[in-house]
Amino acid sequence: MIEISHITKTYGKKKNAFTALNDVSFTIPDGASVAVVGRSGSGKSTLMHAMSGLDRPEAGEVVIDGNNILTFKQKDVDKFRSNKMAFIFQSFFVQANESCYNNVSLPLEIAQVPTRRRRTKILRALEAVGLTDKAKSRARDLSGGQKQRLAIARAIVNEPTILFADEPTGNLDSVTGMQIEELLFSYNRKHGTTLIIVTHDHEMAKKCDMQIHIKDGKIESIEGGVKS
Amino acid sequence: MRRADIIKRAGRNLRQAKGRTILTSLAIAVGAFTLTAALAAGQGTRDYAAKLLQNNVDPQAIFVVKDKSLFEQGGQTGLREYDPDVSTTATGRPGATLKQMNQQDVEYLESRGDLAQIVPVYTLNPKWVTIEGNDKKYIGSIDYYDATILNETKSGTLPPIGQQIADSDIVLPEKYIETLGITPDNALGKRVKVLFAQQGAQVNQQELQAALMRGGVDEAAKLVKPAEKEFEFVVKAAAKTSTMSFGSTPRMLVSANAAKMINDYQTAGSDAAGKYTGVSAVAKPGKNPDEIKKQLEAKGYAAQTAKDAQALLFTIANTLQGIVVGFGLLTLFASVFGIINTQYISVLERTSQIGLMKALGMSRRSIAALFRYEAAWIGFLGGAIGALVAYTVGTLMNPQISKWLDIGDNAILKFEPLHMIGLIAALVIIAIVAGWFPARKAARLDPIEALRTE
Repeated sequence: MIEISHITKTYGKKKNAFTALNDVSFTIPDGASVAVVGRSGSGKSTLMHAMSGLDRPEAGEVVIDGNNILTFKQKDVDKFRSNKMAFIFQSFFVQANESCYNNVSLPLEIAQVPTRRRRTKILRALEAVGLTDKAKSRARDLSGGQKQRLAIARAIVNEPTILFADEPTGNLDSVTGMQIEELLFSYNRKHGTTLIIVTHDHEMAKKCDMQIHIKDGKIESIEGGVKS
Repeated sequence: MRRADIIKRAGRNLRQAKGRTILTSLAIAVGAFTLTAALAAGQGTRDYAAKLLQNNVDPQAIFVVKDKSLFEQGGQTGLREYDPDVSTTATGRPGATLKQMNQQDVEYLESRGDLAQIVPVYTLNPKWVTIEGNDKKYIGSIDYYDATILNETKSGTLPPIGQQIADSDIVLPEKYIETLGITPDNALGKRVKVLFAQQGAQVNQQELQAALMRGGVDEAAKLVKPAEKEFEFVVKAAAKTSTMSFGSTPRMLVSANAAKMINDYQTAGSDAAGKYTGVSAVAKPGKNPDEIKKQLEAKGYAAQTAKDAQALLFTIANTLQGIVVGFGLLTLFASVFGIINTQYISVLERTSQIGLMKALGMSRRSIAALFRYEAAWIGFLGGAIGALVAYTVGTLMNPQISKWLDIGDNAILKFEPLHMIGLIAALVIIAIVAGWFPARKAARLDPIEALRTE
């Protein structure tokens, strides 16, 4: 369970201060699929960064499975993230020069998974996204859709409990986008992984269990969830 | 993240930027090459010097002079007070004067009782040399036989170390025998005659006038004409030209006694009579040459022991090596900036990768380590390339260099594996230090900012 209460994040100082998040609170139950919807600049990305511990709001609590990660030291936040969370980005961020295999291996190395247990996990993840035959290809030789599938394989390889997706279909054509969407939702259903999608695509948002609408750093409305 | 995983990723990252990696490491390779060569040359020179000394110098040997300046700058310069022992020609260096050892000094050394084989430096200037069975007159250098060195022979036999040859013996060098057109075996037992001239008698005005009155110009000429004397020897052995000897310039050798006789004859009646640049001696077994040296210095002499000679040779080798090492270090210093630059660019190019790694939970420490290991790989590569090229080129060039320097089979470049490993290790450390700042920049990168790029 993710409990967000009264988080506020401000950028800049004094006159130039800009409030990206203003007293935001909500609760996400385990295994839910959640869409964070809003226009660009509304604060939805900041919210994702705050929830994942990449960014530190100056006020409020981010409680994940009973732990307020904002009280953690940087090192422990990093460790928590490497064990429990995964990310998918609009522009993929796969390592173009590395092979698909080594791309997927990275989170396991960061989480210090023993070498002998890595291979099966990597191959299983690649299989899940249909890239088994590309294991040795370099990521730069893949198409956009394949790159995003590779990013998904990298995200799911260490079986995270929370999967963040920041505009996962933003750089893809509609057919490929649909395939990626399908992959994410089916993974969410099959493994009970909490899926949090940041998007401005209302079509995709509708498919989620819960929609959090954000405007100017404030929650406009929450559909399907529980407002605390 | 585990170290092994970080090192592997660092290696792969470099392989993906081959051109840049190789160019950066080449800068280090130049420094590594220079240092490897310098270390090898230093080692080779020291080894050669040590070998030379071992073969040439009795560890008990001691060389005594009156004038300390001979060891320091090869004699004194400037005007000095008259002293019959001071010579303007003894050093052979124009402009330098030297206070020489005289007969009393030699007697003092003999009276000490702890020195043996006391032989002053004799200067022998032959006019010409003839050999039995050859009508021609020859001119060559002649010196006295040093009993502290074991000489190799081409033919004939020489006494064991510490013993002089007989006074009628002469040893001819291989090269001289070649010129004479005979074989070393043929030369044995042949009579050799050497003509020596006296250093012109000193005649005063009255003597000269008396001679002119007596017999005219002819009589006077006879008076000033230096006397000449022929000394006869028998060839005892043909000495092999050795690359391991100091006096590798070939010379004819006679016994120390014969040399004394000739020297006395040549200098008789002149200012140079009974005066020597220095005196060589050997401390008797059980006597410490350093102790004797101290006592002699207290008496106003200056002395050099075998150890001093070795130190001097080593100092020369070390100084030369130091200069080259200095240049190598300068090159390395320059290449450090190359690493810093390359790694900074690498950090800037890979901001999104760094951001992603941070998002995936990679710690600052691991990210800094990743970049430091990349720098370490560059250092290792540069060091390995430099050392390997130096080793290959050096090993191929060694015979040629030895030929140029005329030192026989002795290699002047000696590559010590330990030196090379140490050098590469040092370069890896230097590279890590150079990679410190870029690594810190990478570690401090804000992941949110980094992920926004692209």
